[in-house]
Amino acid sequence: MTADTVRAHPAGEPPEAGAVAHGAGTPIALVGMLLFIASEVMFFGGLFAAYFNARASTSGVWGPPEGAHELDLPLAAVLTAVLIASSFTMQFGVWAIRRGDTGKLRMWTAITLVLGVLFLIGQLYDYSQLGFGIRDGVFGTVFYTLTGFHGARVFGGAVGLTIVLARTLRGQFSARNHVAVEAVSMYWHFVDVVWIGVFSTIYLLK
Amino acid sequence: MSDTAVGFALVGIAMLVVLGVVFVVFSRGGPAEPRPTPPHGVHLPNPSFLPVVLSLGGALMGAGLAFRSENQLANPFLAIPGLVVFVLGAIWWVRAANHEWHDTEHRSHGDDAPH
Repeated sequence: MTADTVRAHPAGEPPEAGAVAHGAGTPIALVGMLLFIASEVMFFGGLFAAYFNARASTSGVWGPPEGAHELDLPLAAVLTAVLIASSFTMQFGVWAIRRGDTGKLRMWTAITLVLGVLFLIGQLYDYSQLGFGIRDGVFGTVFYTLTGFHGARVFGGAVGLTIVLARTLRGQFSARNHVAVEAVSMYWHFVDVVWIGVFSTIYLLK
Repeated sequence: MSDTAVGFALVGIAMLVVLGVVFVVFSRGGPAEPRPTPPHGVHLPNPSFLPVVLSLGGALMGAGLAFRSENQLANPFLAIPGLVVFVLGAIWWVRAANHEWHDTEHRSHGDDAPH
């Protein structure tokens, strides 16, 4: 995001809420989003710390409780690919609106939203097949806590994408006035990066 | 289909419904209206006891999860009042913030005006 994308507004074009900062600098809305993401980093840092602490202090085999299915690595890998692809489509949308191409923004945002919803549906399907719950041992607790809180963030990002899509249809974004698109994009990339960490930690780190 | 699968399917449907409602709400109306520019200087929020109310609700809910019997998800005598206080506090806070936002945007902002 470059600050000059929202600093100047053509005559007659209303500035977007949060897009106007006094003087030069990053728009207020983006500063707010950065601070929010910083707080989310701390939050997930705590969850990862809890996961590793539980894992380090557990004697015996680390994994799902006896009698339950093993984690579905192929499904999780597909969901990871879906989420990473959604980050690319989101960025294509951002680049499109920087050029003033609202049609492409609408298309890429819709695709990103569909991919995000697919991820959530896939995660819920995975939950339904696992055969253990959040109460079933330390692993069950940390597994559902980490993936569940991440899923909630994906849902929050999907809400943001839905708002961007609706506002795009109303013609509220332009090349110089699209701070909400940039803010939602930043959050979506953050959610993607966190999932890569969650996937690597839970599914790959043996 | 197991009860667990039905439960997760309902969660998925609820999420789709929420996204649909959000889309409908934000699709209404036309292009964005011009917004008043924010006042100069640093605007500080007014003093409020609402953070304490929200914290009290959260603490009660946390206590409800901590002090429960073996077969309970939470202690209802702590968690339910906590939830009520938390939700009411959140609604109250949002309303107060909206009023403050409205006042800040629409009143005059001379250098001598309180921000």
